[in-house]
Amino acid sequence: MSLSRHPLLPLLGLPALLGAAMLAALSIGRYPLPVDDILRLLGAALGWRPLPPEEFEVLYNLVVRIRLPRVLAAVLVGAALASSGAAFQAVFRNPLVSPGLLGVLAGAAFGAALGILLSLDWLQVQALAFAMGVAAVAIGVGIATLFGGGAIVMLVLGGIVSAALFSSLLSMVKYVADPYNQLPAIVYWLMGSLAVADLTQVGSLALPIGGGVLLLSALGRALDALSMGDDEARTLGVPVRAVRYTVIAAATLVSALTVSLAGMIGWVGLIVPHIARLLVGPGNSRLLPTSAGLGALFLLGADSLSRTWSTTEIPIGIVTELIGIPVFLLVLGRARKAWA
Amino acid sequence: MSATLLARDLRYAWRGRTVLNGVDLHVGSGEVVSLLGANGAGKSTLLRLLLGLLRPAAGAIHLDGAPIASIPRRLLARRLAYVPQVHVSPFPYLVRDVVLLGRLPHAGLSGRIGPSDRQAADAALTRLGIEHLAERPYTEISGGERQLALIARALAQGAHLLVMDEPTGGLDYGNQLRLLDLLRTLAADGFGILKTTHHPDHVLHGSHRVAILRDGRIVADGPPAEILTRPLMRSLYDVDVEPHRLADGRLVFMPATAQTPPSPGYPQSHPSESPA
Repeated sequence: MSLSRHPLLPLLGLPALLGAAMLAALSIGRYPLPVDDILRLLGAALGWRPLPPEEFEVLYNLVVRIRLPRVLAAVLVGAALASSGAAFQAVFRNPLVSPGLLGVLAGAAFGAALGILLSLDWLQVQALAFAMGVAAVAIGVGIATLFGGGAIVMLVLGGIVSAALFSSLLSMVKYVADPYNQLPAIVYWLMGSLAVADLTQVGSLALPIGGGVLLLSALGRALDALSMGDDEARTLGVPVRAVRYTVIAAATLVSALTVSLAGMIGWVGLIVPHIARLLVGPGNSRLLPTSAGLGALFLLGADSLSRTWSTTEIPIGIVTELIGIPVFLLVLGRARKAWA
Repeated sequence: MSATLLARDLRYAWRGRTVLNGVDLHVGSGEVVSLLGANGAGKSTLLRLLLGLLRPAAGAIHLDGAPIASIPRRLLARRLAYVPQVHVSPFPYLVRDVVLLGRLPHAGLSGRIGPSDRQAADAALTRLGIEHLAERPYTEISGGERQLALIARALAQGAHLLVMDEPTGGLDYGNQLRLLDLLRTLAADGFGILKTTHHPDHVLHGSHRVAILRDGRIVADGPPAEILTRPLMRSLYDVDVEPHRLADGRLVFMPATAQTPPSPGYPQSHPSESPA
C-alpha cells in the first residue's frame, strides 16, 4: 500500500536494483569472482585504471565472453516475457493469460524441433523457431478473423486451435526423431537454456526486443481503456483494432525472439505482471515498464540458480516453474480479492 | 454550451434482419430523453449508431450540424460521451484513474497526463460527490458508486451530451431514484442526456421527453405524461397497467388489479386518494 502511494519509487529503484543484480549475477558461478574484480575490469575497459594484461585477459574471458551474454540474455528474455504477458492480460481482459495464449510458444517449439530433426545449424534452428512462432499466431488470428471478425473470445479459441495444431506437429517430429541424438536435443531445448547465447546474438536481439518492450509500454493508457471494453475504449478515442493488433504483433515478435534465443521459459509472463501489479497498481503505463524490470530480475535470479544449484546446470525452464509455482500461490492470496 | 444530436431516417440491418427502419430522434442541451422499448427492440443498436460505433445502412446522424462520421474520434469524444451499464473491470484500477481515462481524448494515446487533466478529473469527482472514493479500487465500490464514477469519466471528457445505456440497471431502489435526480440536475446545468430504460416509472420521474422504439421505428416521441398511455403500455409490453394521477398531479402506473389480485386480508389502497 505504501508503495502504491509513491508510484515513482519502484520505477526509480528498479533500474538500480537491476544493475546490482547484474553485477551479482556476473560474480557468481562455478568460479566465484568478487564484485571488486568486475568493477576493476570495468575500470580497465573504460581506460581509467589499467590492469596487468594477463589478469585482464582472464577476467575479460570469464566476465565478458562467458557470463555477460547470459546475464544480458536473462535481462532481455525476462523483460520481454513479463511485459508481453502484462500487455496480453490487458488486451484479453484476463489476469490469467500468458504470452503463449495465441500459440507462439507451441509454434516456436515445433519450429525448433523441426530444425533439429533436419539437422540444421543452430542459427537456422533459431530462425525456424521464430518463424513458426509467428506463423502459429498468424494462423490463430486468421481463424479468429475468418469466423468471428476478431472478437476476443474468437481470438482465444483461434489461439487454442493453433496451439493444438502445432503441439500435434511437435509430437509427430518427436516420434520420427532419432531417439539417441535428436530426441534428447529436442527435449533439452524445450526445457529452455540461456547457455547458448553469445554476445553478438544477444546484441542483435537487443534492439528488436527493447523496441517491442518500449512500444508496449507506450500503449499503457490505451490498454487501460481497452481493458474496460471495446465500445468504451472506442468512445474514448482509442483505435481499438489498431491497438489490439499492435500489441499482439509486438508481444508475438518479442516472445518468438525469446524462444529462439533461450527455448521455452514458462511462468515468467504469467506471474511477474501480478507481482508488478501489487507494487505499482494495475495502471498499464506504470505496470508494463515495472513488469519488464521485475521480469529481468526474476530471470536473472532463476538463471543464477540454474547455474549454481548443482554441479551440472539445471534447465532454466524447470527453475522458473519450480520458483514460479510457490510465488504464484503467494501472489494469488493477495491478488484474489481484485478478481472477484 | 449548447449541443444537439440529431438522427434522421436511420436504417440498420444485421445479418439480413432489419433492426431499425427509419428512426428519427434528437436530444439537446438541457433535456433528459428516455428511450423505451421492449427487449430486442433495437435500443442498444440505436445507441451504438448514435455513438458512431456502428454505421447506419442509410440515414444521417448529425452533431451540431456536422455528420458524426466526419468528426475525428478524439474530437467526437470531447463532445459526446458514452456511459455504459455498470460493469466490473478485471483489474482494480483506482476510481481516480478510471475517471482520468476520460482525459484520453485530450491528452492523446501516449500523451502525458497534465495538471489540467488532473483538475478536470477532480472537478468531475467533486461534481458527483464521490471525491472520497478517488483512491479506492473501482472493483471494490458498490454498483451505484461505479455508475457515478462512469458518469464522472464522461464529465471529465468535457462532453455535454451523454448517451447512457440503462443507467439505473443493477442499482438498488434508493440509488435508482438518486441517479434519476442527478440526471435531472445535470440537464438543468445544460447537459443533454439520452438514456435507455425498462422502467416507465423512471421515465415519468425526471425525463423531459420519451421516445418509444417499436418495430424498428420511433412510434411516439413527446412528454412522458402524454405519451405513456394504457393502450401504448399494452401494445409495448403486452401487460395491462392502470395510470393513476396522484394528488400533486404526478402520474404513476400500477398493474391492473385483475392481473395481480390482492391477497386476502391485504388492505386495499387507492393511489389516487393517497396523500402525496
